[in-house]
Amino acid sequence: MTVAPELAEPVLEELRQVLGSEHVLTSKPARYNRARVPAPFPVHRWAERVPDLVVLPGSTAEVSEVVRIANANRIPIVPRDGGTGLTDGAVPVRRGIVVDVKRMNQIKEIDEVNRTCTVGAGISMLKLNEVLARYGLIYPDDPASYPCSLVGGRIGTSGWSLIGSRYGHSRDLVLSFDFVLPTGRVIHIGDGAGRKLSKSSSGYQLKHLFMGHQGTLGIATEATLKLFPKPEAELSPFFAFDNYDDAYRCVGELARAGVATFAGAVLFDEWKVNYLRRDDEAYIPQPTDVRALVCAVAYGYEDEVIAGGKRFMRIARDNGARYLGDEISEGDWAARHDRYATPLHGRTNAGQVVPMSWHCEDAAINYSNLPQVRLEWHEIIRKLREKFDMFDDWGMFTYTSANTGLDYLTEIDVGIWEQELDDASWAAWVDAKRDIAEVALRNGGSISACHGSCREGEVDLVPQELGGGYDVMLDVKRAIDPNNIMNPGKYGLDRAYESAEG
Amino acid sequence: MTDTSHHQTDSHTGANGDGSTEEFVQQWRNAAYNCFSSGHKFCREVCPVMQVTRNESWTPTAFHANVVAMEKGELEIADIAEDYVNCTGCGACELRCPNTLFTGDFYRFRTRTVDMVKAVRALAVDNDVHQPGWQRWNLLTDERTHEPVLGDTPVSQEHVRDWSAGLDIPIGGETIMFVDCEAAFYRTSVPRAVAQILQLAGYEFGLMNEQWCCGGPAAEMGYLDQSKRFARHNLDDWRANGVKWVLVLDPHDYITFTEDYPKYFGEEYQDIEIVLVVELFAELIREGKLTPSIPIERTITYHDPCRLNKRKGVWREPREILSAIPGLVFNDVDRVTQWSYCSGGGGGLPIEKPELTAKISESRVDKAAELGVDTLVSACPWSERPLTEAGEARSIDVVDIHEILAESLGIEVGGRRGE
Repeated sequence: MTVAPELAEPVLEELRQVLGSEHVLTSKPARYNRARVPAPFPVHRWAERVPDLVVLPGSTAEVSEVVRIANANRIPIVPRDGGTGLTDGAVPVRRGIVVDVKRMNQIKEIDEVNRTCTVGAGISMLKLNEVLARYGLIYPDDPASYPCSLVGGRIGTSGWSLIGSRYGHSRDLVLSFDFVLPTGRVIHIGDGAGRKLSKSSSGYQLKHLFMGHQGTLGIATEATLKLFPKPEAELSPFFAFDNYDDAYRCVGELARAGVATFAGAVLFDEWKVNYLRRDDEAYIPQPTDVRALVCAVAYGYEDEVIAGGKRFMRIARDNGARYLGDEISEGDWAARHDRYATPLHGRTNAGQVVPMSWHCEDAAINYSNLPQVRLEWHEIIRKLREKFDMFDDWGMFTYTSANTGLDYLTEIDVGIWEQELDDASWAAWVDAKRDIAEVALRNGGSISACHGSCREGEVDLVPQELGGGYDVMLDVKRAIDPNNIMNPGKYGLDRAYESAEG
Repeated sequence: MTDTSHHQTDSHTGANGDGSTEEFVQQWRNAAYNCFSSGHKFCREVCPVMQVTRNESWTPTAFHANVVAMEKGELEIADIAEDYVNCTGCGACELRCPNTLFTGDFYRFRTRTVDMVKAVRALAVDNDVHQPGWQRWNLLTDERTHEPVLGDTPVSQEHVRDWSAGLDIPIGGETIMFVDCEAAFYRTSVPRAVAQILQLAGYEFGLMNEQWCCGGPAAEMGYLDQSKRFARHNLDDWRANGVKWVLVLDPHDYITFTEDYPKYFGEEYQDIEIVLVVELFAELIREGKLTPSIPIERTITYHDPCRLNKRKGVWREPREILSAIPGLVFNDVDRVTQWSYCSGGGGGLPIEKPELTAKISESRVDKAAELGVDTLVSACPWSERPLTEAGEARSIDVVDIHEILAESLGIEVGGRRGE
């Protein structure tokens, strides 16, 4: 094994003392296995992202000790939770120590009276909900990676989810958490002196600062979460349209209707419908005049869901929708939501089927800007595809991201034949991502609604999006992480230290 | 140009024999890329080893990614072999894989992690990279023609039929009953129950002239040549006695006879029919030829053996049998929930990592305890030893489905439920 000089004995020995030697992994496969996330990257450059070392701490105290040792020796730290993020947050770009928190997956407390639970950051929401089901409760944070993403990663990303539009997103659902700062100091982040408040106007509101930083400010180790009664009924009607414009108008009216049980609506554009029709075995065939789909979803008690559902039906009908019926609606919802079905293969320009990874570029866009963004994004991918055959346009989804229909998580799904990515096609992809981000900003949006924006390409535009706020970000980073050990190289934050040095 | 229809892979060619990493990679690279490109990792939380270790190096995604790294020359078999110990071969990951779920029907592709793990283990052995416990186990198996399931107490050919003492079972015949090493030497109550139920139903069968270990465990641990030698012996024994039907009580044997033997022997093996007795007994109950009538006053849940439920889709028949037994209170857990359950007893894990098997079994028994049961019924002898050990701490009795059926049929089973 080759490790960076600062990681040689006795630092290794010190880490083994803290964690036990079985939780300090130095083997090549252990390190290679933690260089990967689902976001595409050329396979031939894998070695560039391999860390020097992996540690598997079992407690907040152990995480704190590891970080303290790393800080004292100026060794980069990369927090890793589920490793399911789409913006490379868990990818080591300066080697160093990967702190993999998956062992910290205990449920410490379920408070049925206040409806909270306290868990280790390494637990998955699926596993948590298996236990909560016995109490008639749910933790409703359900991203596409729901079966495998972890609570700590949701904090690091400040994620969004479809069902979250009914109950709240990660930023609302995570009440408080223990957090290890880059010096090793442990603080508790959240409202009030306890763990279980959701409101406070006392002092600075730090919770949002310490969520969504992609691991650049520290490591969440234990979190207290807000719970809800497990809903009695789910309604997920699917509506078909023969044109995008009607579907777009319909989704807007559904979202603005103010139905209390509304958990969100999804709009599938014609590229998406074409892709599903072409390549997805889970797609339930529809006549070819179906060019766009809308799904509206509601959760609650049966009587209130039925009442809200009637209103959805009326709105949809008034907008020229054809209801696909209960059976197809339930089947499609199971495929699109419960299974997050996507075929994982695409086509070359010549129509040849090839294995592709599913990659979605997301943005937050106001309702009124959606049609324009959609056309410009498809055009970017069309041009990319003209030059390089390893990309495929899998169409677009837009999801309501607030129950007033204010703004939308907008994503274009791009199939990427990762196996074939070479330096030229990778460079073109990075340019395309920058172009996609530029369109979002030009339309008043955010580069990302829920994935984060620290990959090559898009990251260049983050200062533009944040304006003077980006300078504050640099000041905060320098103040909290004086030695730039916490996930260095992300979000262009290195420049915080350049300016400090004059 | 890659075509997903070419992603069908065969673990029993390529990786074994000449030990060529290049050939192995060629065989598995597309399947590995399918996983690597997906990056979904839906398999992770259903993996029994992952659930108790939380170590990402021991996940199906890591196992596939390593193959990609081998193709790129970043890793070698000696780097990765030890990690591949950490798999029970339960198959949960394959069922939960998006590549199986989403594209399976369309392209007739499914993720085959279990076969891939076996192929890596075989590649390791071919390259003289051994796991000490497995090497010793297979050496002893080779010497004794049976697995050393009794530890220091030797097993041998002279004792392989000891379990049947007093049951008056003939040798030979067109239908023979094959008893796996664990049941033949350790939990003898299982084959005794099976044999006596067959006798009660008037079913004619005999025992093999000279039964050796099925060879499946050797293949699972990478000792493929040995596995083939054992398989050849057993097939020759069947041929010499004109065997047409082989009755199997152990899910591991069932996999070996229905997946490994056909690959070893091809057409030569086609006219031998393998009968899973748990399916046969459900049929006999359905036809009224067996009627369990003695009430069994137990509150039970059923452990779906991985190789039946996850790998062979057999889950209905055991429930039919249990539902037919009077007196039982049956707190069932559906088969899909049980995708993430395992005893930890498979894939050679208890030999190399008994502490992990124990943790997996404890976790399984904990889930049973939450149901308020006094008994956990399994249908796999290999699961019953670790589950029994874990059950002791929880005061949960672990019983084989054939034992409990025999009891309800009024049979005095005899034999031992382990040591």
